[in-house]
Amino acid sequence: MPRETEISVNERAFIQQALQENLRLDGRAFDAFRPLELTFGDEYGVADVQLGKTRVIARISVDVAVPPPERKFDGIFQIIAEFSPMASPAFEVGRPSDAEMVLSRILEKAIRRSNALDTESLCIIAGLKCFALRADVHIIDHDGGLVDASCIAVMAALQHFRRPDVVVEGEKATILSVREREPIPLSILHQPLCVSFSYFEDGEIFLIDANLSEEQVRNAEIIVTMNKHGEVCQIAKYGGATVDPLALLNCTNVALQKVKEMSKIIQGKLEADAKKRDAGGLMAELSAENER
Amino acid sequence: MPLDTSTYSLALLRLDGRRWNELRRLHAQISVQAAASGSSYLEMGNTKILCTVSGPSEARRGAGGGGAGSSEGNLEVDVSFAGFSGVERRKRRQDKRTTDLSHTLTSSLTPLLHLHLYPHSTITLTLSILSQDGSLLAACINSATLALIDAGVPMTDYLTAVTCASSPSTSDEEAGDPLLDVNSAEEQELPFLTLGTVGREGRVGVCVMESRVRGEGVEGMVAVGIEGCARVREIVDGVVRGYGKRFA
Amino acid sequence: MAPSQHVQVNLSPAELSYLRSSLAQSPPIRLDHTKGPKDFRSMRAEYDVLPGANGSARIALDDGLEALVGVKAEVEKSQRSPRVDEQEHRLTVAAGDMDMQDADDDDTKAKGQNAWVEMSVEIPGFRDEDALPVFLASMLTESLLASGGLKDRLYINRRFHWKLYIDILLLSPALSYPLALLSMTTHLALLTSRLPALKSEKDEDPLFDDDWDASVPLYPKSKGKTKGTQAMDRPPVIVLAMAVDQNIIFDPCKEELAVADAVLAVACTDSTSSPSGAQVIAIRTIDPPSHLTPLGVPNAMNSATGGVVPASTADAITQRELLASSDVWTPPRGGMKRALVGQIVKAVVEKGGVAEEVIQALQSIDVG
Repeated sequence: MPRETEISVNERAFIQQALQENLRLDGRAFDAFRPLELTFGDEYGVADVQLGKTRVIARISVDVAVPPPERKFDGIFQIIAEFSPMASPAFEVGRPSDAEMVLSRILEKAIRRSNALDTESLCIIAGLKCFALRADVHIIDHDGGLVDASCIAVMAALQHFRRPDVVVEGEKATILSVREREPIPLSILHQPLCVSFSYFEDGEIFLIDANLSEEQVRNAEIIVTMNKHGEVCQIAKYGGATVDPLALLNCTNVALQKVKEMSKIIQGKLEADAKKRDAGGLMAELSAENER
Repeated sequence: MPLDTSTYSLALLRLDGRRWNELRRLHAQISVQAAASGSSYLEMGNTKILCTVSGPSEARRGAGGGGAGSSEGNLEVDVSFAGFSGVERRKRRQDKRTTDLSHTLTSSLTPLLHLHLYPHSTITLTLSILSQDGSLLAACINSATLALIDAGVPMTDYLTAVTCASSPSTSDEEAGDPLLDVNSAEEQELPFLTLGTVGREGRVGVCVMESRVRGEGVEGMVAVGIEGCARVREIVDGVVRGYGKRFA
Repeated sequence: MAPSQHVQVNLSPAELSYLRSSLAQSPPIRLDHTKGPKDFRSMRAEYDVLPGANGSARIALDDGLEALVGVKAEVEKSQRSPRVDEQEHRLTVAAGDMDMQDADDDDTKAKGQNAWVEMSVEIPGFRDEDALPVFLASMLTESLLASGGLKDRLYINRRFHWKLYIDILLLSPALSYPLALLSMTTHLALLTSRLPALKSEKDEDPLFDDDWDASVPLYPKSKGKTKGTQAMDRPPVIVLAMAVDQNIIFDPCKEELAVADAVLAVACTDSTSSPSGAQVIAIRTIDPPSHLTPLGVPNAMNSATGGVVPASTADAITQRELLASSDVWTPPRGGMKRALVGQIVKAVVEKGGVAEEVIQALQSIDVG
């Protein structure tokens, strides 16, 4: 079984020493994210997130399916996150590691269970047909902070995605293609984003958005998911070194501020992308009108 | 089925008649099984768990803990739900919930144990969930702590856990009252978190919240949770001491 | 996960030989010398331990073997069978309505299906599909379903029936062969199981009484007054007996099992209809772990003690044959005399025999 190469003793000592002197290896402040790059694909619902060297692509796809009998009025929404050997030689297909399990569980709790997506809006005909939405998370490059990056990618992709419109006549539903009718955006109820806190020196120092080598040195991790309205969607501290309860509460305050910043960035990018798409369309329409 | 918890604000009594800061009956025993290295049986209300420890024993070949990590012993946790534990009978093997529970237990207990004393060996915790009525993770943590103590595995301190929910708030501005030790009906209805603390100072070892709540609510939940953990710690400590007295 | 192999007894050939010869004495001296050949290990038993189950029991033996059984019943839609349709005009008996049973006796008889009882055995360190749990489950189910009484009791009406899930958990590692313990725990759990009382009639969708005090026991008490004779037999118990030479020893512990010539599992029930003692439902031989014990090397074959190591395997076998009657430990080949089987069965079923004793002991737990 391939394993993550262990960080060397020297490197470990170096990082810890530097942290004692209030320094991070890449020169960031303790509570700073790495530069966030967000680009959207040509298709709707593809978001490419780069957080430093970590790169995650999320892709939303939709299909029509029969809803589960116990939830007739809901659509289906799945998030599939799998590690592939592409991102890191330590990842192996078909044998989920603990980190992979944590990632998929956190995404599940942060996005699905907090009802970020209104799944009822995915229902076409109750009990018979619904949209089955699937978010595939591809980890392209792994340099720490996978949870944060994946969450941003999925949320951005969900907001970017447009589903085809549908016409229902009695028991019959017709899916209209993109050419026939402008596809419609999903109804997103809120925008949860994850912030991971890594603790060092037995819970005395915390870092935001640790990179891979920092992750290997840390004693404990807390992942807080919040939305910009100040609601906490999920907190996960599965173990590791103990932290002061006040530090735990402080996390939510710091996370809120970070989430607000990130939401703004994502919103900006979404608007820019919309403008880019729209500008061409509108201009073309206008010019056609002028010619007449 | 949504449950009516709105009556709480009227009488300040919960569905089962408890006040906000009351624990359910917590009953625990250790050394319940002669065959295991250590064992415990714990009831938190109607949540009942039996935990046995076997080992430290020779690490199995091909286990994940081998290789470079073997200078320390490793902890394996195996959680299983009994078919009759829930309201409806369900046969389940490994699923997301059991892996989640065992992952949380492994990663929260490992730093407490002096595993460096047991190189090349494995300590196996087996938890059987006999009956579930909320606060499952908390009950698992408490029973695992007791079983490890019974097995005589050196550890720094007790890890004790409780759950804490946030009652529906009456106004938009204020968060609702925190409610200690939720049962399964409250668990389905209210946002709650599981908090586990280590030692007397109440430093947080585990904190898992899976539901959405207003940011202000977290503070109250954590505060009440820490107090609850201290109370559980006293009870657990009493169980261990009571057992010790039998040999005095 | 716990180690998945069978728990082996770590006794040397000399110890095995000593144990066997003391067990073969008459009267036999058991490992726990205070016990006679028919004595069982002492146990602690509890019932109604689970709030969420229809019946439950937990038995712990003093050597650490411990089992928990939960019985859960759920209402299930019956598959319509043509045979049932023929009886359309007949009345059906509401569960618990014991007084009517005489009149409608034919009706509930033979309507149960074996599939209505589902049993699962979980043993730590074994997977569900491993041989031991599967074998144990089928032995227990087989004896339970042998008399049609239980499954007929699960009949509600033509459209619905109870589905009985019996989940058996061994809470400790499988130290000795756990069959007897599991069966006793199951017996106690079934004996104390209760089903909610039926309020609806005939083929309506079943409706039950919310009041748990009104619930009816799955196995009605047979000591009832008038029509008690029709009450069902109590669930069966399986007792383990092993043979060593000419001796029969009941409830062997793991060390004793390691020197057994043969092991017999006898499933029996105390029939209220038969005047004398219990009835045998099933007998099975069980492969004793003694086959797997290491064989002793006699001095004559050990070069360290001045013996001569046999030159070929054939040579070794003939030498061993000659030694078969000596005290050097050779794993038994299994098999037991017919007379011995007869003796075991007799000891189990006779009036005041082992089976009756066990069933009464379990019954008294229920009462007490």
